[in-house]
Parts: sequence; structure tokens; C-alpha cells
Amino acid sequence: MDGYFYAILAVGLLSTIICVVAGILKKAPNDVTILSVAAVELVLLVYFIGSIVRVAVGEHIAGAAWEFWGYLATALLLPPAAVYWSVLERTRWSNFVLGAVGVTALVMAARMNQIWY
Amino acid sequence: MSAKTTQPTRNTRNTGPGRLLIAVYAVFAISATARAGYQILTKFSEAPLAHILSAFAALVYVVATVSLAKPGATWFKISLAAVLVELFGVIVVGAISIFDPVAFPHDTVWSMFGRGYGFVPLVLPVLGLVWLYRRRPAKTDE
Repeated sequence: MDGYFYAILAVGLLSTIICVVAGILKKAPNDVTILSVAAVELVLLVYFIGSIVRVAVGEHIAGAAWEFWGYLATALLLPPAAVYWSVLERTRWSNFVLGAVGVTALVMAARMNQIWY
Repeated sequence: MSAKTTQPTRNTRNTGPGRLLIAVYAVFAISATARAGYQILTKFSEAPLAHILSAFAALVYVVATVSLAKPGATWFKISLAAVLVELFGVIVVGAISIFDPVAFPHDTVWSMFGRGYGFVPLVLPVLGLVWLYRRRPAKTDE
């Protein structure tokens, strides 16, 4: 597990906690919950750019490279999709949808790390 | 896809908790499809049965996701069928994978009752059934 994984672990879990708590408090998606999901996207983007640099520099992905990039591309799509889905219906339930992004990104990051090393 | 239909709210399942359910189903549909596609393309011959099962599970998740998002009594029946198949699948495959591990040398979403996925595959159809029951179409439709 590398730094990228731990960054996603921290930001993803924090985002999930913020969104789930907001959902439990019966709040609709607001700036805080949406920005926490945006933070997850930001970390994933850093992971994406960092990975491109590492491959460009000559580092080798131990597992199937296209599987790694597939996971990363899918993970990058999750936050925008969840935010879009949550602004369509602004109820507390949309916060739980936003909360699902953090843990999902976390699981996918763990898998990406397994593939890389 | 705006929800401005003339359908009574009772006949829709894509609002409130249903949105969360659909979102989780969508994640499973994507991951199961990707996983099944990957397994079939790279190592199908190693365990054809497990990989066909993976593909079937992926299909069930896709059908469940789409049908839950659609309004109307027909989609309700399709949702119900998909969720029941999913529940049946996770229980049967989960049981077989414990009692006869040789039959499933490769993991599927439903192996060990979905342990590899935090048992979400086992919990999801139960929540799905609860949600479908609460949003069952009114009898007057028939």
C-alpha cells in the first residue's frame, strides 16, 4: 500500500463519514457534503497524474496494466456521477449516495494497489 | 431523466431510499460486469462454470439497476424477479462454495455469501425486497 492508497483511505473515509452523518441528520446534500466528494475526486486525479508520471519515468505495473487503468478511470467517474445523481433529488438519501463514493473509492484504491505491486 | 411523470408516486421506486439502493446496485453492476468480462477474456478455460456464473450475476445486477430506476408495474415485476434471483443466487452459490470449494476454484461475487464484497451482495437483495414491498404497485392497477 502506497501513499496514494492512504490518501484515499483518509479522504474517502472522511467524506463517507461527513455524508452519512449529514444523511442521518436529515440534511439535503449541501456544500460540505458535495465538497467532501469533490475532495475524493481531487485525490483520485492526483493518483491518476502521479501514475502517468510513474509509468512515463519507467516504473512497471506488476499486474495487468489495462486493469489498473480501468479501475482508475471508473473510480474517476464515480464522484461526478454521484454528485449529478444527488442534485437531481435533493433529499437526505442523496447524502447516503454521496457517502457511498468514499468507501467505493477506497475499495477500488486497495485493488489498484494490489495490481500495481 | 427528470421524474416528471404522471405516475402516482407509489408506482416509482427511484426516489428517497430507492436512489441509494439504485446507486449501490449500479456500483455492483459495473464492478461485476467488469470483473466477469476480465475473467472471461483472460482465464475463461480455467474455470468456465465460475466465470459463466460471474457473467450471469453481472447481468442480474444490471437488470436490477435498470428496472429499479424505471417506473410502472411491469418494471416492478422485473425488479422483483431480478432481486429474487439475486437472493437465491447468493444463498445457493454461497452454500455451495462453503460445502464444495472444489466446484468454485475461482471467486465469484456470490462466493462465500459475498464475503469478498463485505457481504453487501447478501444484504442488498434483502433491502431490495423490503423496498419493493413498501413501493408495491396498488392493486387497483389490475
